[in-house]
Amino acid sequence: MSALVIKGVSKHFGGVAAVSDVNMEVPPGKVTGLIGPNGAGKTTLINLITGVLTVSEGSIHFGAQDITEVPAYKVARAGISRTFQNIRLLAEASVIDNVMIGFYRNEKTTTPASLLGLHSARRETAALRDRANKLLERFGMSKFADQEAGGLAYGHQRRVEMMRALASDPALILLDEPVAGMNDVEAGELGEIFRGLARNGMGVLLIEHNVRFVTTLCDFVYVLDSGRMIASGSPEQIVNDPAVITAYLGS
Amino acid sequence: MLAQQLLNGLVVGGVYALFALGFTLVFGIHHLMNLAHGAVFMTGAFVALYTVLAGLPLWLGFVFAILACGLLSILIEVTAFRRLRKSGEAEFGAIISTLGAELIIVTFAQIVSGSDVLRFPFETFPVEIFEFAGLRVTLLQLFMLVCSLLLMLILTYYLYRTPLGTRIRSVSGNERASVLSGVNPNTIYYQTFFLSGALAGAAGVLIGLSFNSIQFAMGEPFLLRGFVVVVLGGMGSIPGAMVAGLLLGMLQTLTAAYLPAGLTDAIIFSLLFVILLVRPYGLFGKETAGAMRAER
Amino acid sequence: MSDFFTVYHHLFNTFLLGSGYALSQWVVMRAGVFSVATAGLASIGAYCAAILTTKLGWPHPLSILAGTLLGTLTGLLLSVPLARLRGVFQAIATLAFVQIVVAVGLFSDSLTGGAIGLNAIPILVGTKENLLALLCTIYVLLAIGATRVGRAFEAIRQDEAVASSLGVSVTFHQSLAFGLSGAIAGLFGGLEAFQTFTLFPNTYGFGLIVAALSYVVLGGRRSVAGPIVGTAILLILPEVSRPLADYRNALYGVIMMLVIAFMPRGIVDTGLLYLRRRRLAAKAAAESRQ
Repeated sequence: MSALVIKGVSKHFGGVAAVSDVNMEVPPGKVTGLIGPNGAGKTTLINLITGVLTVSEGSIHFGAQDITEVPAYKVARAGISRTFQNIRLLAEASVIDNVMIGFYRNEKTTTPASLLGLHSARRETAALRDRANKLLERFGMSKFADQEAGGLAYGHQRRVEMMRALASDPALILLDEPVAGMNDVEAGELGEIFRGLARNGMGVLLIEHNVRFVTTLCDFVYVLDSGRMIASGSPEQIVNDPAVITAYLGS
Repeated sequence: MLAQQLLNGLVVGGVYALFALGFTLVFGIHHLMNLAHGAVFMTGAFVALYTVLAGLPLWLGFVFAILACGLLSILIEVTAFRRLRKSGEAEFGAIISTLGAELIIVTFAQIVSGSDVLRFPFETFPVEIFEFAGLRVTLLQLFMLVCSLLLMLILTYYLYRTPLGTRIRSVSGNERASVLSGVNPNTIYYQTFFLSGALAGAAGVLIGLSFNSIQFAMGEPFLLRGFVVVVLGGMGSIPGAMVAGLLLGMLQTLTAAYLPAGLTDAIIFSLLFVILLVRPYGLFGKETAGAMRAER
Repeated sequence: MSDFFTVYHHLFNTFLLGSGYALSQWVVMRAGVFSVATAGLASIGAYCAAILTTKLGWPHPLSILAGTLLGTLTGLLLSVPLARLRGVFQAIATLAFVQIVVAVGLFSDSLTGGAIGLNAIPILVGTKENLLALLCTIYVLLAIGATRVGRAFEAIRQDEAVASSLGVSVTFHQSLAFGLSGAIAGLFGGLEAFQTFTLFPNTYGFGLIVAALSYVVLGGRRSVAGPIVGTAILLILPEVSRPLADYRNALYGVIMMLVIAFMPRGIVDTGLLYLRRRRLAAKAAAESRQ
């Protein structure tokens, strides 16, 4: 398993720096937290890592691979999956189809085989459907399999997005405010799932502005404010750091 | 000679600019395309023609054309745009529904005219030719040029110097901002569509007079040229449409004069294609206006 | 039955060709590209096939194959610069492409016959060939829908950012869709060339753009059956009664406005959705009774 290493990354929009000189590391097998007030640049940082935005300065490595200039789909193929802050599902597609697109990264079917509808291509699709059904079962979503994803309740949509990210079997998963809008019980359940993923060796980067959730769950926490990394350390160190308290409570 | 061709180009270009202004105005506000704009243009020529055929003076035909086209344009807003504005696929939907509106209007004109090519009676517009500094200008050409420039001036004044115009520009595609500023967006939509249609109607009358051949299909080539103008000028840009309209007029007369016949269209549309590839936001548009994809 | 076919023979061929063009339009939109290049690509296929046979004496199946390949190649080439552009701008650029093809067809009259038309093309293709071509096209499109590429298309159409976040290359698949669209348009253009006797550049202009778009919009943009049903309805309606035929274009216009306002998914997709919801509701009811 590989670690994500970010060195001196900055991003300017026009003359404005949204993220400046950020250094961080997301190791495999751990839950790493990234917190910060609204507008701190958390989502920008995610977009830089995943190649949705291009980095202005600095470098991003994933294991031995330099992914600084790599476009989004190739970052995904390298094994980095993400969820979105505002859930983004294929609203018109069924729940199971939403999960199945997650397998795309590891599919063996070639384009010509798909165009010709070869037996191998159809067999793989059938196999993936089985796997998707198992995943739905694990998340207690089987009975929604054929429903349109756009029509689901909020919490269920979150789960579909999570299943989709997991279906791609990533080495690193970036979760952008995955428990936003959930109550403590629901958040706690998801938190357990995240811990389980880390135990199995996956790297987990959890982006939140809910400090409590992050500190109970994470092994290591980074704090971003106005595009700068103002603190990092264990959850205990973070909650007692004066700079963090100022950032959250305002000076 | 070159100067004469440039002058002729300027006259046609002025009308292109009028036509394209209406198109780009709607795009600037809605970020949607009105493909029925060519049909509105054609309607302008028809209304003026039938007014004159009914024995009324031409100036009245002009006024009727402007009013009728303004109202027709509002009708298009209500029937083809309103329901789509809030849908997630408004961009695509508007293209389909305004294409539909175009087909309906054109078929109607085809029935009314019996598919014939119609002409203004002889000397509807007095035929007079002036010569100066070696250039020949007809009275009609002068009238077209003055009309186009005057309408452009009025529009510019309205958009940039009156409170209503300022609101129109401030709304530009941002419905929430307009609601916040206390403006009923519908008033803005009615105004922009009326202006848009009126300009197309005026352009229709001028072209009808100048070519003196009016038929139901006359809008299509104009719509296609309208695309060239608005893209060259930058989608949604008012000054862009004016400059690009004049440029296209001159380009067209020059290619027609100096290159083999029949090559004009190939050149004009290749130009459109190339602009879209090289500078999709046009001469005056903003790079961020949404012509191109997000960074990757 | 045989009478029926002699009377409606021509209409049926028009339907088969129209379905082909509709599917060419459909496949690009399936991958989230708003291209209207189908008309231009069909023109290229038709002229390529007709010229190869009438001027160089190629056997017609080979000419049709060449037209198909040239259509594919043109589609692929178009996709490269267009990848940079977004929705409406892609539509305008492909509209420009269609106009360029028409203008070049009119201009180079030594090769294409210009406005007078390319004449004396032998009639060598009929219903059998059209039907075979349509069935092959349908097979490939269904195969795509049932396997990996179809899932990628669907993801891109609905949300490009999601698609690329899962490793789907948007550029690659949109190029692929352009290529397929060009192949289908080129194939049916080539077939049409050998059943019309004369080709005119304007046959493949704005009118065909509107027709292909309206077939797809009416039928539906998701299932393969959509564009075929759309074509059938829009071609048969004018045959039903004389006034409808006289005002054919206005009829198309009214249908386009109504469908996009009240049934934006089109007839087939709306119907399928309704059936699926009913099935789900029945299943849910059955479960709650247990």
